[in-house]
Amino acid sequence: MSIIVAFLQAVLLVAIAPLISGIARNIRAKMHSRKGPSILQDYYDLAKLWKRCEVREGGSGLISRLMPPIYLGSFVLVAAGLPLIMQACPVPYLGDIITILYLMALPRFMFSLASIDSAGSYTAIGGVRELLVGVLVEPSLILVLFVMALAAGSTNVGVMAHAVASLEAYPFVAVVVAGIACAMACYIEMGKLPFDLAEAEQEIQEGPLAAYSGPSLAMLKLGVSVKQLVVASIFVAIFIPFGAAATTAPLDILLGFVLYIVKVLAVFLVAAVIENSVMRVRYKLLGRYTWFVVGIASLSLVFLVIGI
Amino acid sequence: MLDYSLVNVLGACLIITSMTVVLARTGKAAAYLYSLQSLVLVGLLLSLGAVTGSPELFTWGATAFATKVILVPAILLFTLKKLDNNVEVDLPPKLNPMKSVALVAVEVFVCFVAVSGIDLPTAAAVKPTLAVSLAHFFIGLTCIVIQRSIFKQIFGYCLMENGSHVTLALLAPQAPELVEIGVATDAIFAVIILAVLVWRIAHYAHTLDADDLCELKG
Amino acid sequence: MLELILLSLGLSCVTGVLALVFGKAHAASKTIACVGGMISAALSFAGGVGALFAAPVYASWAGPLPFTNFTLLLNPLAGLLIAVIAALACMAWLYGLSYFDEYYDKGIGVIGFFMNLFIASMNLVILSDNAFWFLVFFELMSLTSYVLVIIDQTEKSLRGGFLYLIMAHIGFLMIACSFFVMATATGSLEFEAFRTTALAPGLGTVAFVLAFFGFGAKAGMVPFHSWLPQAHPAAPSNVSALMSGGMIKIGIFGICKVCFDLLGATGGEVAWGILVIIIGAISSVMGVVYALGEHDLKSLLAYHSVENIGIILLGVGTGIVGWTAGLPWLAAIGLLAGLYHVVNHAMFKGLLFLGAGSVLHATGTRNMEVLGGLARLMPVTAVCFLVGSLAISAIPPLNGFVSEWYTYQGLISAAMSGDILIRIVFAFAVVALAITGALAVTCFVKAFGVTFLARPRSEAAEQAHEVPLCMRVAMVILTLACVALGLCAAWVAPVIELIASSLLHAPLVPVSDGALLVSLDTVSVVSPLIMAVLMAVVIAVCVLVRNAANRKAGMKEDPATWACGYEADLSMETLASTVGAHVKNFMEPIYRIRFCVNRLGQMIASFVGKTLGTRSEAVVTGERPKSASRFDRDRLHGIAPAPQKAPALSESVLALVEDIGVWFGRLEGGDFRTYIVYIVGALVFFLALIILIR
Repeated sequence: MSIIVAFLQAVLLVAIAPLISGIARNIRAKMHSRKGPSILQDYYDLAKLWKRCEVREGGSGLISRLMPPIYLGSFVLVAAGLPLIMQACPVPYLGDIITILYLMALPRFMFSLASIDSAGSYTAIGGVRELLVGVLVEPSLILVLFVMALAAGSTNVGVMAHAVASLEAYPFVAVVVAGIACAMACYIEMGKLPFDLAEAEQEIQEGPLAAYSGPSLAMLKLGVSVKQLVVASIFVAIFIPFGAAATTAPLDILLGFVLYIVKVLAVFLVAAVIENSVMRVRYKLLGRYTWFVVGIASLSLVFLVIGI
Repeated sequence: MLDYSLVNVLGACLIITSMTVVLARTGKAAAYLYSLQSLVLVGLLLSLGAVTGSPELFTWGATAFATKVILVPAILLFTLKKLDNNVEVDLPPKLNPMKSVALVAVEVFVCFVAVSGIDLPTAAAVKPTLAVSLAHFFIGLTCIVIQRSIFKQIFGYCLMENGSHVTLALLAPQAPELVEIGVATDAIFAVIILAVLVWRIAHYAHTLDADDLCELKG
Repeated sequence: MLELILLSLGLSCVTGVLALVFGKAHAASKTIACVGGMISAALSFAGGVGALFAAPVYASWAGPLPFTNFTLLLNPLAGLLIAVIAALACMAWLYGLSYFDEYYDKGIGVIGFFMNLFIASMNLVILSDNAFWFLVFFELMSLTSYVLVIIDQTEKSLRGGFLYLIMAHIGFLMIACSFFVMATATGSLEFEAFRTTALAPGLGTVAFVLAFFGFGAKAGMVPFHSWLPQAHPAAPSNVSALMSGGMIKIGIFGICKVCFDLLGATGGEVAWGILVIIIGAISSVMGVVYALGEHDLKSLLAYHSVENIGIILLGVGTGIVGWTAGLPWLAAIGLLAGLYHVVNHAMFKGLLFLGAGSVLHATGTRNMEVLGGLARLMPVTAVCFLVGSLAISAIPPLNGFVSEWYTYQGLISAAMSGDILIRIVFAFAVVALAITGALAVTCFVKAFGVTFLARPRSEAAEQAHEVPLCMRVAMVILTLACVALGLCAAWVAPVIELIASSLLHAPLVPVSDGALLVSLDTVSVVSPLIMAVLMAVVIAVCVLVRNAANRKAGMKEDPATWACGYEADLSMETLASTVGAHVKNFMEPIYRIRFCVNRLGQMIASFVGKTLGTRSEAVVTGERPKSASRFDRDRLHGIAPAPQKAPALSESVLALVEDIGVWFGRLEGGDFRTYIVYIVGALVFFLALIILIR
């Protein structure tokens, strides 16, 4: 049963990722007092790109060619292991936080390599920025997860989710503060304003997309949406597991599924509102914001240590 | 035991709110946040009163509500209004505000280590809160050190004051009201004096920047 | 088993002498050295692997003096180290069969002689069970490797070798002192006596700290790392592989041996473990940060050795904490993580150094800025280097990930069962490891991307060619080892756990179950094998789907790179400095530390130089931080910056005094807030004092 759930949620995430980013675009338009595109716009874009002839750049080689499938595939694999619909990991050996974090390093590695591979300065700067975001966010993310591992007594995301859902995660305040820090870290990782604008490929973080076209570009765009959804889902899975199925009874799973969609939509709604009410910062200032996240994460560690 | 853990949770909220006071960009926001923090303090006093069963603490809570939640922020806001358009109040702090969060975390930890070395029969279960109250002393000092605006430095004093209030409540819950009156009036008068000072300085020097004011010496 | 290894040692010596004798006949000398070395390495590999599963073998021969009994001990830990070094040595010799062609006029006979002797001395250090012989072989190992470092006879290699020699002797001195402490307490130089005698607790700590820093200097941990990035790149690439992959592990071996074995009866203190953890965390971060600033491919790899030694120390430190706190399962998992990383690092670092050697062989330069586009010209090398890069960046399911996973689990388990101090220290260690991981990814994107991808940026890179067969085979075998150690981790981990348990005299801890790796205390499992299969399936599906769409819609190739409407030229490509500069922006303070440390190092070096009466040697690795972040166009054209001369001792002292003066001036600023900081400082100090007194 749980294998089916894992498969289901991987497929589900890929299927709804364009929808979610379409909704986010629509919200942005509404906040700008525009009519905005249809919420299905991303599907139309992908379908159109899928039918286009692909142009390979002269300088690029196998790495560039392999990158979109690896990018999408890695995030699909991460998605399969998260406790999204159930409170436990559907595939336990994919549900370890260390595994998840390091599995997410693979697409980052390939993404940046591909950006260097295409031999243009514009794409490469985007790739380097992607790496930089990883360097700055990873410490606070791991600190938060360290706190959660100690609070729940396991590094398995499923066990953490269960501990939070049943309110057993011990130092209560520490968990709440860790949740805040995790939300901020995930927000930065999602690549939204004020740090970046992931949906517009003219933006620098998406620079590597400039070298792609046709089905590869479609796959990469899909991969970027799936990444955002996966990052948001990590937060949802660990800190808002309420309502996820505790058993594998079909009714519970259905309820968990519906609630998961609602939770993710809520997270994206909040993210969209934040995104549209802040201005862009220069990426050199990114360090200050991540310092703030590190500060909050270390505060949660202190609360954990002193036990409140 | 749940009650003591409630006290501890409120102690943690105290740290978080005082951090927001330190981080607040504008003086106005800081004043409101200080009011919020005092509200948490009142909650802490009341819950502590309920747990230890000392009626004195309820009166403490009431006076604290009157003085710290309402009066002190009101005085500060009034001063702010007086200062309005005259001088720049919301000077950016010296230390990157984001880094000061990490600093606060370190301070709380140091205090906890310090407190864990002390054995007091009355405070065994509320050691985290004791650490928090001690840490407020440091957070207040941090606020004074990192803020350039002397108006915001007042909040540093207020935070230290709140810390001593909690320490007193934890270690001597049965203390008579007289002590409490002392604490409360102390807060009020000190804040009034400081506010007047700020106003006078602004009036004469047309600046609230501590760096500029250092030039006045000698 | 011991006989096999002794046989291999004898063979090494004979081969070495023969290589020296035939030194004039270059090709013959090279072939003798390499083939003999390979056979000898194969023998000791067999012996080492055999010792993993056998009971310890103890052998002793009386020496001419009472304290020089030639005692050897082959236990599982020694077996592991011997097997690792032998595997690496075998590949290094195989690689050398072609690679040494370039060294015909640099004394190929001498290289063959000293390299054989170097490998033999490493094995003997591991086997020795007598303090006297241990130190003798340790010294022999340092001297032979010193000769290999200065074989190029360039100014750079001489400088690096000199620094290496000084550091090696500082380490040697500390280890000797540590053994002396133990010997005076026991009245014997036999390790067996150390093992069975309990020292006074204070004395035990002194012995451990001395040995830790002494072996740490050999391992290249911070603050004794400065020799490593100068000495390792100077040697021939396969010797660098052997040094970075093998020799520095002797340092780790020494730390484990002294702590768990020699001081076993004395027992340790938790503080030892915390010391090891803190130094390990600092080493790992500093190593990778400095690696990011390098443009020289081999220096970059050498700095990564500092990082990986840090990661190994995190595992070993967890082991020490578990051992001293009476938590045998924690000790076992920590030690497992450390030893697993020892094996892994030997494999991928060996592979990467061989890869760098191939690049050097094909293009004649190690400067990444003038390379580029090699993936098309040297596909085998590129794929091997890519796998090595992924492995060292701990990307699942390769071997680096497995050992880092165990390290994380060890750190988190320790924090779960520890008190406040342990929790904070281990949180620090976990964060350091995470930063290291993220920076290692950045660094290897840079190393691989800038060297192998995009288009060639110089004539040398355009005319590169794939390296000869022997070199390719050596790299491919190490690549397969990296993959196998990752995928088959569930079967390798129990073997290493066996070694850890036998060293700790603790019961076995289950670390794997079928194809799953298990961490009992954190209730977590992971399976590199299943993960690899799933990844392969998912990615293959994606590739097939995409390619089907491509076939339907057609595909074109456009020779030009799209550069926002401009014509793309080579100056637009990403250089190593581009990647480095971005990260440096955020890591400025760490680079500043290096500058200060280097100045101190210069002072020490010039002081040593003067006392020894030699010319004062400039020992400069870093540049001033100001120029470090500048986009350095000179490097692109291969113009090396003028070597900085170390200031004379008097000047450096003057500069130091001046600095101190400025600093004190800042203390006395007249700002009342400064005084508040003093008050806080005093308060914290007295609080700490009260706690300490209690």
